[in-house]
Amino acid sequence: VIEHIGPQLFNGLVLGAFYAIVALGLSLIMNLTGTINMAHGSFMTLAGYLAYSMVLRKVPFGWALIIAPLIAVVVGIVVERTLVRPLYKREPFYSLLMTFGLSLIAEEVFRLIWGPNGVPFSPPEALGGAASLGFMQFPTFRIFIVLVLVIAIAALALFLTKTRFGLRLRAAVQDTEMIAALGTNTQVLYAVNFSLGIFLAGIAGVLAGGMLGLAPTSGNALLMPAFVTVIIGGMGSLFGSIVGGVLVGIAISMTTLFIPAASEVSMYVLMAIVLLVRPRGLFGEEGIFG
Amino acid sequence: VTPRRELLFSTAVIVLFAFGPWISPLLHLDVSIVSGVLVIAIAVMSVNLLLGYTGLPAFGNAAYFGLGSYGAALSVTYFHAHFIEALVIGTLAGLLGGLILAPFLLRRRGIYFGLLSIAFGQVFYFIAYRYTDVTGGEDGMHVPRPDLGLGTHVVISEHAMYYTALALFVVVLIAFRTIVRSPFGRTLIAIRQNEARVRYLGLNTDRFIFVALLISSTMAGLSGALFGLLINFAYPLELDWHQSGYFVLSMILGGAGTVWGSLVGAVIYVIGNDIISTITPLWQIFLGALFVACVLGFPRGILGSILAARRPTATYSDDDTNAAFDVNAPVEVGRGI
Repeated sequence: VIEHIGPQLFNGLVLGAFYAIVALGLSLIMNLTGTINMAHGSFMTLAGYLAYSMVLRKVPFGWALIIAPLIAVVVGIVVERTLVRPLYKREPFYSLLMTFGLSLIAEEVFRLIWGPNGVPFSPPEALGGAASLGFMQFPTFRIFIVLVLVIAIAALALFLTKTRFGLRLRAAVQDTEMIAALGTNTQVLYAVNFSLGIFLAGIAGVLAGGMLGLAPTSGNALLMPAFVTVIIGGMGSLFGSIVGGVLVGIAISMTTLFIPAASEVSMYVLMAIVLLVRPRGLFGEEGIFG
Repeated sequence: VTPRRELLFSTAVIVLFAFGPWISPLLHLDVSIVSGVLVIAIAVMSVNLLLGYTGLPAFGNAAYFGLGSYGAALSVTYFHAHFIEALVIGTLAGLLGGLILAPFLLRRRGIYFGLLSIAFGQVFYFIAYRYTDVTGGEDGMHVPRPDLGLGTHVVISEHAMYYTALALFVVVLIAFRTIVRSPFGRTLIAIRQNEARVRYLGLNTDRFIFVALLISSTMAGLSGALFGLLINFAYPLELDWHQSGYFVLSMILGGAGTVWGSLVGAVIYVIGNDIISTITPLWQIFLGALFVACVLGFPRGILGSILAARRPTATYSDDDTNAAFDVNAPVEVGRGI
């Protein structure tokens, strides 16, 4: 078992990167508008299936990785403008319920279009095989995944901290009324912020499709760990989502190695421990979201 | 609504349900479906107590429901429990689930409470799903209906099952109404409206929410145990958060914060599920659309809307606990959900 610890740790890191990026998208949307997006997993699945259909039609994987999330973003903006926006003024649990309904619809639509069973979606040959990192062999595709996700997270961090728009977004999270009074169109902020979250979900969806396969419910399977990630990292903290994601990923991969039957339960145990010690989550601020 | 009218209306509905086994064939419904309505209504009421009255987004009640179901199923399968014993064990399993989760859930309010309910509820789902040797895993477990117990060997027929469900529903309904009209229930409503003020009045709100949580989980456990014994089956998806979502939808649909709304919601959900899923495989799309439509355009629900329309003026009276779910309700209604 000992010799598997290294590769499993790496697998945990890959999983953790997925959870982190999904959780980041969730947190972005939640922090600004208080919307719990239960349809987040559906957008992942949508992007995954779109990429799958593109690759079938001989679109290069690299392009599919960009275009599919963008199409998901377009769908996301339409949904945000028409269905989510009326709920911003209302209690957060309404948006939770509404997006839950959306995810039910989406799941059935995926089933209608791409069939009820999973479809094989293998990464391109150039990313197949294994690469040696000096001390160990790793599947190239997984290294690629980690690279892409890390780049995406870094780009998000740069966008939020180094651009005027990112600055406004962060300001709006603190005080939406004030930023609106200062002349920023908050509706644009909401829409862009939602799109950002969906775009991250889309990238994760395409990559997850290549690694774990695609099925109508595959995005929703990643949603619950992402929620746990947000809770562990602390609601309101983007940095917490990253740390939480890695922690959850490693917890799952390690229990898969030692106690396979407890692999899903482990993250909830982790969450329970974190909450007992720090009710607000690792990096959460007291008072946000109750 | 005057007390007289309420009593008249309540009696009429219960009498109507008392003739259920004769009415349901006329509507081409199996009696067991109508039993299901009554059983699910109890679970919806358990959500109503937390979300409709106390303002806590109870998105994890399926966990207690499923625990009740598995509690009954396991006790029948492994300990040859009789009907009454299985019912009691299942109900206690729901209560136990509430006791286990309460220390975690009590620490947070608002949407955070909802997320924690969902997340911790999933633990029980995965236990049922993974512990295949005992629970049958994904396939669920078959539960042959036990005989009544109490020293007798009465086999419970479908009709007897129906009247058991009806009797328990009436008992729970009366208890529920008593609770929400009591000073305790009024405090729960006050907590929804403004928890900080309730604290300033010197009340330990955590303790009130704790008790509400235990009552809710016990009701959900009872409902789950009945459900398991009704369909002779227990399966992991009963514990899944999707199931919690269906309970919440049913509650909103019927009328959150109303005593009878849970039954109305359960009627629509269970019978709609039964009818539409036999007509079309796209039931899930209908259900999803129902969620979206209900949240966007119909948050007061059926009974809530009827009661609101019957009010003589546009003012929000004190006994209109459903008003909190109205989009246009004034601030004074106190929508601290």
